[in-house]
Formats: sequence, structure tokens, C-alpha cells
Amino acid sequence: MPKQVGPPDGQPDPERHIMAMQKQTLLERRYSMLGLLLIAPTVLVFCAVIVYPLISAIYLSLFKIFTPTLEGTWVGLDNYRELLTKGEFWTSLRTNLIWTVGTLSLQIIFGVGMALVLHQNIWFRSLARSLILFPYFISTVVAVLVWKWLFNDLYGILNHFMMSAGLIEFPIDYLGTMPNAMISVILVGAWKYFPFVVIAVLARLQSIPDQLYEAARIDGAGPIARFFDVTLPQLREVLVVIILLRAIWDFKEFDLIFLLTGGGPVTSTQTLPLVVYKEAFSLNQMGMAAAYAVIMMLIMLVFMLLYMRRTRTEGS
Amino acid sequence: MVRKIAFNLFAWSIVLVVAFPLFWMLVTSVKPQFELFRRPPTVLPETWTFEHYWKLLSETNFLGYFWNSVILSTTTTIVVVAIATLGSYSLVRFRYRGRESLAFLVLFTYLLPSVVLILPLYLMLVQLGLSNTITSLVIAYTTFALPYALWLLRSFMAGIPEDLESAALVDGASRLGAFWDVILPQLLPGIISTALFTFILSWNEYLYALVLVNSDEARPLTTGVMNMLISSFNIEWSLLMAASVMMSVPLIVVFAFLQSYLTRGFGAGGVKG
Repeated sequence: MPKQVGPPDGQPDPERHIMAMQKQTLLERRYSMLGLLLIAPTVLVFCAVIVYPLISAIYLSLFKIFTPTLEGTWVGLDNYRELLTKGEFWTSLRTNLIWTVGTLSLQIIFGVGMALVLHQNIWFRSLARSLILFPYFISTVVAVLVWKWLFNDLYGILNHFMMSAGLIEFPIDYLGTMPNAMISVILVGAWKYFPFVVIAVLARLQSIPDQLYEAARIDGAGPIARFFDVTLPQLREVLVVIILLRAIWDFKEFDLIFLLTGGGPVTSTQTLPLVVYKEAFSLNQMGMAAAYAVIMMLIMLVFMLLYMRRTRTEGS
Repeated sequence: MVRKIAFNLFAWSIVLVVAFPLFWMLVTSVKPQFELFRRPPTVLPETWTFEHYWKLLSETNFLGYFWNSVILSTTTTIVVVAIATLGSYSLVRFRYRGRESLAFLVLFTYLLPSVVLILPLYLMLVQLGLSNTITSLVIAYTTFALPYALWLLRSFMAGIPEDLESAALVDGASRLGAFWDVILPQLLPGIISTALFTFILSWNEYLYALVLVNSDEARPLTTGVMNMLISSFNIEWSLLMAASVMMSVPLIVVFAFLQSYLTRGFGAGGVKG
């Protein structure tokens, strides 16, 4: 503090110095007021449409609520007890994990492969990139309609291709039987979401310095050795982030599965988000649905926290 | 040289396989109904027809849904981007208590599944008497669009050098003046790319529209077109494919003219964090 030290001769007198300091803190305080003012709309909206609903979702899960009348009775933790002892929760969780792991691994494999291909100097590269990117941006509704038409058992082109290639003798029911339905859903999911991996990996590939490849080439490494020794270690960081992010998004996917199979045949492709919807709006058990949603969020929390820690360490 | 050609053919055959469903959607939409059932199927239509598009526009409520979607997505985008621009400026460039935890909350909600929020939101909007309105959907869409836009704009904002703002302040500009004259022009590409993503996100949303809106007056394209599939007695695939094409028109426009903004948003968003 200037007062304790005391100004040497020739310096501005302490009065003015203190005034400057006060002006400084005043300005700082005005700045943080302005900062708060600018963030106020965000905070208001967040509280109204996210924080409050989030808390009331937890609160709702402690009631038994009939959806059409919205009348509820307090049941405490009964919903959770019932849910955890019911087979449906565990089978849906299993289905959810199969879907997530299946579609995610295909997305990563195809995504990285495609990124490596598009990183090369192929003809009309930007056109190829746009075509690859497109499935990611179209609406899930469009994707589902198109695939339902491709999958159509009588007039679908897919059955025609498979039959003329001699792979199958009779038309296949892609969505109505198991395990076909699960495989189809996983494949369509991979088709729709692998472009995300392509773009992310491609951006990283472009930032790998050429010297690394030169050095590996001088050391006599072939293309495959170069991939494992240079490319893959460089991609590791970004792949971890992509896998976490896609795992979170695939785990909570609703539209694609709901529209393609509706969870069917019977409940073979019914993942947790679909159970939440079913409990709330078909079985009219709003409280039970909230319990399912909360449990689902708790499971996802692991991945969410991992991802958040990751971005935090990266940021600092 | 031979290797190069072989590699190109290999690469393009994969690209074409990935793009095939979209090609098939286009082809089906311009084939007459009877040609769909031809065995073996014709790859290119023998007779081109736009009757399905005409039927879609004149006999179904497609245009109504389309209009609803335009209003809904535009409103959501404007509201969300305006709030998020101010919010991200504050989060990146100001110091105050609770700033860090707020950034944490933004990221948390960015990852939050919408099925958790949809039940209380449904109850809330029914109680407010807003169910079956476009307003209710705008409110619901902010729950995923605002965290998304904030997160994206935050990283764009962090990329603007702080010196630029300091220089303006030294020259006597007020903080808001510097924001308007220095930050906003620098941020513009980021704002455009965030707006595009927000628009696409709202345009494609399905779950909230399914739960919150149950009347044709407010129904957007996603649930509207799906309804056409469910309610029709025998499914007219050409009509549905025509609807799918029309529904993707805004995306095609964005792709044709503004693709660089999309790739930029990709880099700034979820991946880099």
C-alpha cells in the first residue's frame, strides 16, 4: 500500500495516488457491475427454463402423478424403489448401452477412416466433404423417412441390392425383427453422426506438422507405421474428447430410435429416453417418468463430469 | 499415377455410398407413383414429374408447417444469439464472483438430456396456458439452444485479442462503445456461424414439438411431416420424399453459400471446448 511505504521525493503526492487508486477500483467496480448487467438476461433465462425445471424434475420424481389430470400424491422414494426392482429399467439400460457402444464405435472407425481419406488430395475434395457432411445436418425426421423407404420390405432398394448381389434369397424385414432392428438402428445412427467425427478429426489432421511425417519417412517408416507412430498419437487428445461428447449425445438420443422403430419390435430397441417418454405420455405416469429421467441423468453424469474436467484443464 | 486413380475411385465410391440415401430421396421425389413399384427399380426416373411437389404444396398443410418452422427457428435464433452475445462477452471479459460456476453451469446444461427437462417444462407451459403455441416452443428451444450458443460464442470471444479492446479504452471509448465498435465486428463471423447452428438445431428439433404442440396451427415441419406419414392410409413415398427434400432446402442453401461458417463453428464448438 502506498501509505505505508511512503512516496520518495519527486513522486506524485500520496493524495493524488490514492485518488487514482480509488478511481481505479471505482472503475473496476463499475466494470463488474456492467459485467453482471450483461449476464443478467442469461441468468434469468437459465433460472426460468433450466435450473427451475431441473429441480422440479427431481421433485416430481417423488410423486405419483397421473398425466392427464396432473394430480399427484407424495410417494417419497417409492418410484425409485419400484424402478430399480423392475426388469424394464435394467433391460432398457442394457439396450441403451448396446446402442451407444455399437453406434459410437462405428462412428469412430468410419469417421477416422473417412477423415484420413478426405485429408488426401482427392478430386473435387470440397464437394466430397460437403456430401459427407450432409447427413449430420439434415433433420432426423428426414433421415428416418429416407431410411424407412430404403428399408421398405417390398419396394426398398436395399433388399433389391442385397438380392441381386446374391447375399440374401428373400427380402429382409429390417426393422420388425431382432436382431435386425438393433443393427439397422445402429447403422443409421452411425451414418447420421459419423460426419461429426470426420470434421473434428480432419481439423486436427491439418494441424499436424509435416516435419513429423518427414522425419518418420527418413527413418524408413511405411504408411502404416506412420499412421500408428505419428498420426494416432497426435489424434489421441481430440479422440478422447470426441468419444466423450458423442457417448453423451448417443446415450441420450431419442428422435432417431423413436422414429425408426418406436422401441420395437416389442421393447427390443427401447432405450431409456424412450422409456421416459412412454411412462409420461403413454402410460401417464409422470412421476415414474421423472424418476427414470433423473436416474438416466445420474448415469450420464459420469461422462459429463469427465468431459467437463477435460475441457477445464484444456482451457487453463 | 495408377495408384492415384485407384485411390480416387476408392475414395469417391465411399463418398457416393454415404450420399446414396440422399440421392435416392431426390430421385424418388421426381418419379411418378407407378414407377416406384417397378422391378427392377429404375435408377434414374424414366419420366420426370413434379406432381408430388405440387400436391404437397396444394393439397397438404406443408406450407403451414413450413411457415411455422420459419417463424419458430428465426425467433429462437434471434432471441438466443442476442442473449448469448451479451452473456459470452460478460463471461469472457469481466471479473465478478460466480463467473466460473456460471461457465460450469453452461457446459453442464449443454450436455443435459432434454428428456429430463421436458416433463417439468410441459407442466410449466400447460400451467401458463401456453401449450399448443409457437411461443411455448421458442421457450422450450432456448433450453438447448442458449447453452449451445453461449458455449460456441464463448470460444469465439476468447479468440479476439484483448489488446484491441484495451486500445479502444485508452482512446477514451466507454466499455459498451468498445464492445459495439471493436468486439462486435470482430465477432461477426462467430455470430453468423452460431446463428446458423442455432437455426439448424431449431429447424430439426423433434421431441419438444411432439410433446408441446398438438395442433396444426403451431406444428413445425418435423412433427407435421411425421404426422403425414402416420395419418395417411397408404403411404405415398414419393410425396414423403418430396417433403423431405423441401424440408432440407434451407440446409442446402446454407451448404451452398455459407459452408465455411459451418466448419468454423465445428472447430469452435464442442470439440475444441
